[in-house]
Amino acid sequence: MLTESVSATVKLFFREAIARAVSESMRRDDRIILLGQDAGRFGGAYKEFSGLYGEFGPDRVRDTPVAEAAMVGLGVGAAAAGLRPLVSITYMDFLMLGLDPLVNYAAKARFKTGGQITTPIVVKTTAGARGQGVAHSQCIEAWMMAVPGLKVVAPSTPADACGLLKSALTDSGPVLFVDHKRLFSTAGEVPLAESFVPIGEALVRRTGTHVTITAHSYMTRIALTAAEHLAEEGVSCEIIDLRSLAPMDVETIAQSAGRTGALLTLEEGQLTCGIGAEIAFRIRELVGPIRMARVGALRAPVSSNPVLEAACVPSADRVIGAIRRLLNN
Amino acid sequence: MDRLALLRRMMLIRSFESALAKRRDHGFQLLSSGAEGVAVGLCDALRNEDQLLCSGRSIAPSLARGLDPGAVMAELLGRIAGPNRGKAGRGHMAQPAAGFFGAHAVVGGNLAIAAGVALALQQRRSTAISVCVFGDGACGSGALHETLNIAALWKLPLLLVCDNNQIAIATPREQALAAARLSDLAAPFGIAAVTVDGTDVISVRDSATGLIANIRAGQGPGFLECISERFFSHSTATRETRSAAEMEVVWSRCPILRLTGQLRAEGVLASGAMEELQHDTDRQVLHAIAFAEASPFPNSAEALSHVD
Repeated sequence: MLTESVSATVKLFFREAIARAVSESMRRDDRIILLGQDAGRFGGAYKEFSGLYGEFGPDRVRDTPVAEAAMVGLGVGAAAAGLRPLVSITYMDFLMLGLDPLVNYAAKARFKTGGQITTPIVVKTTAGARGQGVAHSQCIEAWMMAVPGLKVVAPSTPADACGLLKSALTDSGPVLFVDHKRLFSTAGEVPLAESFVPIGEALVRRTGTHVTITAHSYMTRIALTAAEHLAEEGVSCEIIDLRSLAPMDVETIAQSAGRTGALLTLEEGQLTCGIGAEIAFRIRELVGPIRMARVGALRAPVSSNPVLEAACVPSADRVIGAIRRLLNN
Repeated sequence: MDRLALLRRMMLIRSFESALAKRRDHGFQLLSSGAEGVAVGLCDALRNEDQLLCSGRSIAPSLARGLDPGAVMAELLGRIAGPNRGKAGRGHMAQPAAGFFGAHAVVGGNLAIAAGVALALQQRRSTAISVCVFGDGACGSGALHETLNIAALWKLPLLLVCDNNQIAIATPREQALAAARLSDLAAPFGIAAVTVDGTDVISVRDSATGLIANIRAGQGPGFLECISERFFSHSTATRETRSAAEMEVVWSRCPILRLTGQLRAEGVLASGAMEELQHDTDRQVLHAIAFAEASPFPNSAEALSHVD
């Protein structure tokens, strides 16, 4: 309790935490520029860049046309030439249009040039379902985890959003920062003092003894809700917020899963070649055979229809059901 | 450079490629023979602090930019004495400290990267410019349209140079691109655009110099289309699809013979001078090969270096 009383915090919305991270980083490092559609005067699709245009002006906060390939390409080229661009791709679905420079150039630049070119770029994008339909809802983090040289982070709280984005903006890159439509309006305590969250470290969000749940981004909140209900039945869940997907803190998961003897992986994206599949195999290698289950989206597009969307993406009820089955087997 | 130096540089590229193509230990290569005038003329218009980017057809651009032929040969043969320790090869060779920001083998892939380099230069208030050489094959890509638009809007210090060798692997340019001239592609964006004969090194140099003066003056990007020739098939591993009659026409447009003819007609090139130049460049290439061969391949452990 002592540490809590001395480390002062302020309550911020997730979107405010992002704006604060960018603002603090841009003040510290004039190589940081922001490129994005409606990132300037408009302040970002979710107001997550609110105030930045006013503080840093049109040279450092640049509105771009709708041209994801060139936006990421310009960011990557500028990074290779000495800037630290933050490129905002409004939805993760549209990141597909900008993958060539990110995957074929940025993720390989240091390797292919024998260390002569680094690309300290951060691409920030928004994943997740919230009524916007089949091409505005996808979570393709698992695709990105398969790219050597690319880091992927996906925070679930304002404090982590702030701390991880600040770390990403000092990293040698490239870093993909994934947030979520349903997180921008959530609030949480953020340290008053400037603070960084290291890339590559998971966090135990809730301690428990019966089952380990891994999640990231908005699904961490779903896991926490499920754990609350399960606690009433006497089931004790330990929740690991992955925070960083690549590199992944497998040790923290293994330590927990080894202790609980049961693992449930939760993700909003597809299960095939998914984050859960990756975690399960690596935990199997490290811990040996334990009970495992995975929860993710149905193998279907995510509709804008509210009934179909809710049917497709994981809910606390689905997590609860999966854990009951896992522990009863 | 004087015209003899330009001729010499073009001959070095031709001789270098000729020696390389005779070998069997390079995987395959994308040769620039027939288009030496584009790279050499362009690079003569650049300053040391400028950055050159190009496609995977990187031999002429890298040598024209002044990279050491031995180092380039080492890179192409996969040896650690290459500027990228043999990890980049023809497709991705780079030496930014020498003004060669590098090749990128995704067709059209370097266009937006080059615009990003230009953005970094602009942001730092540098007088240097970013230059990207790409083929006619890249002109069908959306990346070109997106890059032209942003570069024009932001007045980026960027020169886009289309080395139009009139064929993409086996697809003739007129079958792939609807525009009458490829420089027309830049016109809707208000970008200064010029088409020149890429086999005339002087004309390439002078046109590039004119466009670059405007770019350095802050007037925004320029577009230079150079109509060149591809003397060989797409790569050393690709079959030639053009007829003997077509190749006769192609070979008749040699940038080296063109400049040689001019210099002879003006009496600048003494008799025997060509033989001497040829001998010198051939010897330079032999040295480059010896340098490369003396260098080992990377240790297999390097497969994991510089990844994360």
